[in-house]
Formats: sequence, C-alpha cells, structure tokens
Amino acid sequence: MSIGELIFLATIGLTLGGAVMAVLSGSIVYAMMGLVAAMFGVAGLYIYLHNPFLAMMQILIYVGAVTVLIAFAVMLVGPLYRRPKEWTTLGKLGAALGVACVSLLMFVRFVTETFPTAGAPSFQMTTKDIGRLFFDDLVLPFELISLLIVVAILGAIMLALFARGDK
Amino acid sequence: MTDFIYNYLHAYLFVALFMLFCGIAGVVYRRTLIGMLVSLELIMNGAGLNLVALNRFVSPENASGTAFTLIIMGIAAAEAAVALGIIILIFRKYRHVEGGDLREMRD
Repeated sequence: MSIGELIFLATIGLTLGGAVMAVLSGSIVYAMMGLVAAMFGVAGLYIYLHNPFLAMMQILIYVGAVTVLIAFAVMLVGPLYRRPKEWTTLGKLGAALGVACVSLLMFVRFVTETFPTAGAPSFQMTTKDIGRLFFDDLVLPFELISLLIVVAILGAIMLALFARGDK
Repeated sequence: MTDFIYNYLHAYLFVALFMLFCGIAGVVYRRTLIGMLVSLELIMNGAGLNLVALNRFVSPENASGTAFTLIIMGIAAAEAAVALGIIILIFRKYRHVEGGDLREMRD
C-alpha cells in the first residue's frame, strides 16, 4: 500500500468520522466541529479527484463562510441550556426504522449497480476549463447565482431590521 | 497504475452516500434548528462530492459536474445566510429554536 493510499484512507476516515460526529454529538459546538472535519475531508477528496480549484473553493466557502455563519447563529441564539425535549422510545424507534429502511434501499441499489472503474488517466480540471465553461455555456446560471446571493443578503438584512423595529 | 484505491469510483460514491445518510438521520434526529442546518450542509456536501466524482470518472471531457458543484456551493451559502436570519428571528420571538414547538402556522 502506497503512501497516497494511506493518506486517501485517512481522508475518508476524517470525512466519515466528521459526519458521524456532526449528527450524534450532544453539543451543537462539537457538531459544528464535526462538520468542519467532514468538509476538510471532502476537500481532500476533491484533490484526489484532480480538482484542486474546487478543493480551495470548498475550504474557502464551506469552512470559511458557512461554518462561520453557523458559529454566529450558535453565539447569537444564546444559551441553549434549555434542553430540547427528549425523544420518546416509540418516536426514536420509528425514526430509526424509517432512516434505516431508506438507507438500506439506497445501499442495495448502490451495491447492485456496476460503475466504470477507472477514468481517463490524464484527467486534470484546471481553472481554465471551468472558466471557459462558465463564460461560454453557463452564463445565465452564473448571473442567476450572483442575483440569488444578493437577494439572500438583502433578505437577511431586512429580516434583522424588521425584527428590531418590531421590538 | 489504475490499481490504486483512489482510482475507483466506488470509494467516492460510498463516502457521498454515507454523508447523505448522516444528513437525513441528522435532520430527523436533531431537535434544534441549528442542528438541522448542520445536517443539511452535510447533505449538500455529499451531493457535491457525488457530482465531482461522476464528472471525473464518467464524463471527463467537460467540466459540468464541477460547475454544478460550484453552483451548489453558492446556493448553500445563500441558504445558510437566510437560515441564520430566520433562526435569529425565531429566537427573538419565542426564546428557543426547537423545530417541533413552532406550530403557529399549523392550523
């Protein structure tokens, strides 16, 4: 086993462990840390997929922006010491059964599918390819994304303003 | 050369599938809105990984999966901003952020 494979397995372990921690940990701050670990792991997987630009964007946007937003939400929402209502045993059983059934169905479908094993060996996604695609074919979605982000920022500001005026 | 484990599509798809399962389980299991938001980000990350892996192994001649993943990132950022505003608004009004107790619009 080469060192590249070892690092790959460590990255997968980081991703899976982070995902489990994000779901199962009791404290919301630990859940956020698990989310950060999972996002870093996915960035590493993007590098293994020969896509370094996307890995950088992953760290910049998800780890840098989205996690900071969630951290602000945790801080502004204040003390979460009022414990949420516990699950009843029946509800826990039903939820676990439902998620397990959906997961099992998807996993069976996944196992029975045959995938192509190896891609083109010289595959390398450069920023030039991505930029060409965005500014040749996908101009409208690109502009719509910028419009969406502007509307989201304005919406968040308006929500905050109206809440203050209401008070 | 292609015997390395990172040259197989299955590894990436399995990770993405696991993240999707974790996200679904988290949305069902968490009681607070912030926990649900964290699980939702997990689902979006899994979707992006899935698209990029399929782009690299199935159709390496263009960059559609990469572009779609970048668009997903933009949507996730906008969604997180709006969700943060709504969560803070709910906290100011009700002094808690439990999803199960917000039943004002139910009837």
